[in-house]
Amino acid sequence: MANGAIGTATATTGARVVSEDDVIRVEDLKLSFYTTLGVVRALNGVSFNIPRGKVIGVVGESGCGKSQTGLAIMRLTPGRIEGGRILFREFNAGEEIDIVQLDKNGPEMRKIRGNHISMIFQEPMTSLNPCYTVGYQIEEAILLHQTQDKAEARRRAVDILRKVGMPNPERIADSYPHQLSGGMRQRAMIAMALSCTPTLLIADEPTTALDVTTEAQILDLMRELQHEIGTSIMFITHNMGVVAQMCDEVAVMYLGRIIERAAVDDIFYDPKHPYTISLLRSIPRLGVARGQKLESIKGTVPDPYSTVPGCPFHPRCPAAIPGLCDAVMPDEVFVAGSRTHTVRCHLYT
Amino acid sequence: MDTAQKNGASGEILLEVRGLKKHFPIQSGFLRRVTGYVKAVDGIDFYIKKGETLGLVGESGCGKSTTGRTILRLLDPTAGEIIFDDPNIGKVDLAKLNRAQLKRVRPNMQIIFQDPFSSLNPRLTVGQIVGEPLEIQKVASGQKLKDRVAELLQEVGIRPENMTRYPHAFSGGQRQRIGIARALALNPKLIVCDEPVSALDVSIQAQVLNLLEDLQEKYNLTYLFIAHDLSVVEHISDRVAVMYVGYIVEMARTEQLYYHPKHPYTEALLAAIPKPDPRKRTRPIKLPGDVPSPANPPSGCYFHPRCRYAEEICKVERPPLRDIGGEHWVACHFAEKLQLQGITPLNEIPLIELPRRQASVSATTTAATQIPHPQSLSSQV
Repeated sequence: MANGAIGTATATTGARVVSEDDVIRVEDLKLSFYTTLGVVRALNGVSFNIPRGKVIGVVGESGCGKSQTGLAIMRLTPGRIEGGRILFREFNAGEEIDIVQLDKNGPEMRKIRGNHISMIFQEPMTSLNPCYTVGYQIEEAILLHQTQDKAEARRRAVDILRKVGMPNPERIADSYPHQLSGGMRQRAMIAMALSCTPTLLIADEPTTALDVTTEAQILDLMRELQHEIGTSIMFITHNMGVVAQMCDEVAVMYLGRIIERAAVDDIFYDPKHPYTISLLRSIPRLGVARGQKLESIKGTVPDPYSTVPGCPFHPRCPAAIPGLCDAVMPDEVFVAGSRTHTVRCHLYT
Repeated sequence: MDTAQKNGASGEILLEVRGLKKHFPIQSGFLRRVTGYVKAVDGIDFYIKKGETLGLVGESGCGKSTTGRTILRLLDPTAGEIIFDDPNIGKVDLAKLNRAQLKRVRPNMQIIFQDPFSSLNPRLTVGQIVGEPLEIQKVASGQKLKDRVAELLQEVGIRPENMTRYPHAFSGGQRQRIGIARALALNPKLIVCDEPVSALDVSIQAQVLNLLEDLQEKYNLTYLFIAHDLSVVEHISDRVAVMYVGYIVEMARTEQLYYHPKHPYTEALLAAIPKPDPRKRTRPIKLPGDVPSPANPPSGCYFHPRCRYAEEICKVERPPLRDIGGEHWVACHFAEKLQLQGITPLNEIPLIELPRRQASVSATTTAATQIPHPQSLSSQV
């Protein structure tokens, strides 16, 4: 089941649970941006898998590469993929496709994008086209991937709008995005993303721009639909609260690498990596330790143009081991006694 | 747990707001005739005591930022009184002051803005930005000014050598620190913090919150802390006021408000917070419809179309904000009758002792000695 033995420094693939039932397996993905100011290594070997029907949370601070991972899977990233594989398996087809090998503008990729893998973006204000009605924009995807019949497409669009809890879906289908509130637009985005019942839904901070009561309704809706349709979701967010409420498993990212991966309960009740622990302890928790100082992580995320030798977190790590953490990149290993919990830290090798 | 005495809140009132209104005219047509008003703030009353933090929460468009800006007279109020206890002049109604008089009061009230990227002038150096208030108020000049700026930067954790650099050279968290240094420059009494941490990453957010708390303790500052993140507000505030469509619906001591809310909207807000605990998954209270527009609010209680406890009277009569005892103010007809659900405290993140290792001779050896170290990440028990 598991490749990559515990604690061997030579293991290159790292520790991961590989299963037949994964909809997507990302292996050692590397992504760079070549800018006039220098090279930004956005992803430095990201590996993870998403099991069928599960919600995987990808958390981290801005600049850690979580959005770029999502965009790379969609082949929408402007960066250059320099290595690794993204193996995707559709709902029905048994064949695994390596998305990295496809032409990003080619017919195969266009068939996958929006049909088998779809994405919800952070800004509901800017991700809908203001010139077309909401209904037209949903129908467009259905006509492209599912059916040629316009009346049928319209019926399905209204149907999915009803499913995402829109009051009076016929009227909403005929309205333009500016006529809807932020929460309604995000519902419309979700409707569009789910209109072709995708195998994988990538949700990139879908509730960050929303108010707290609207956010709660949207999360509730996504949970309901996920149960109903069985879509796997890659949920990208920086909000630990949202992760705890939504996800089955969590991958914590720091500077273009996954540094810890575990079931959601383990991440919150048995975190291992110093970064995960610090992150959890730096958020204010309701009813806990009021009037006490929050623990904060010293320093800031390093400049993206620079490269940090050794473990990328060592300059900010309270448990860094001089001579080791600042020199050698730790491998991803299983936490002792677990077959699902992996961590990338010298403390556990 | 108790924070009432945390910085010697004396009970003296520093700022009292009575019946404050801010209406923005809606103009339309060729002649730009005024066809209506957006009632952003529609008659609110509250007070802040010296040395305390009043949290002001609400969803976007509820008028919380307008309130903060109107108090500082960055916007002119439509009606109402803003009574500020100035240490030099005594109690003054800010709403009635003219420019010259305002300039004398302004050193005592400052603001920290939300967006650290747009609130600092990109053409000025950090030294100029932080020193500008000192120059305008003619407090210091020349070497004295430089020394004071250096001192301020030191205070917020920016190295004074960075004085000659421009804002673009700093990260979001550092820029917010510069904004805080600027607000501190004239030793203010009151600082309006308008979403000071919502644009920051979580790890940086904790640093800035801690800094704000340290400064409050050191200089006995009074904060009006405007935010939409209810966990952050709970952490930092002594008292909290909840706004809904230009109106304060509930105001109470923090514990009281979070554990025993008396307004249905507060209950819904609290239930909506995504709790960082996978073992406490909650379902939100269904709020039908959207937040009404402040240009065209519903009749009676503004919350009644979405309220699951609403009755006939709520459609007709707008409930006033009244004290139901123990400094708990509520604007609801049924505040005494309703049994509403507050928060339940979350579990602490379990204290995890990080294993301590020494660097072994060969970096790849796994059999390094493991020495349990008391000084791990967690400091308290």
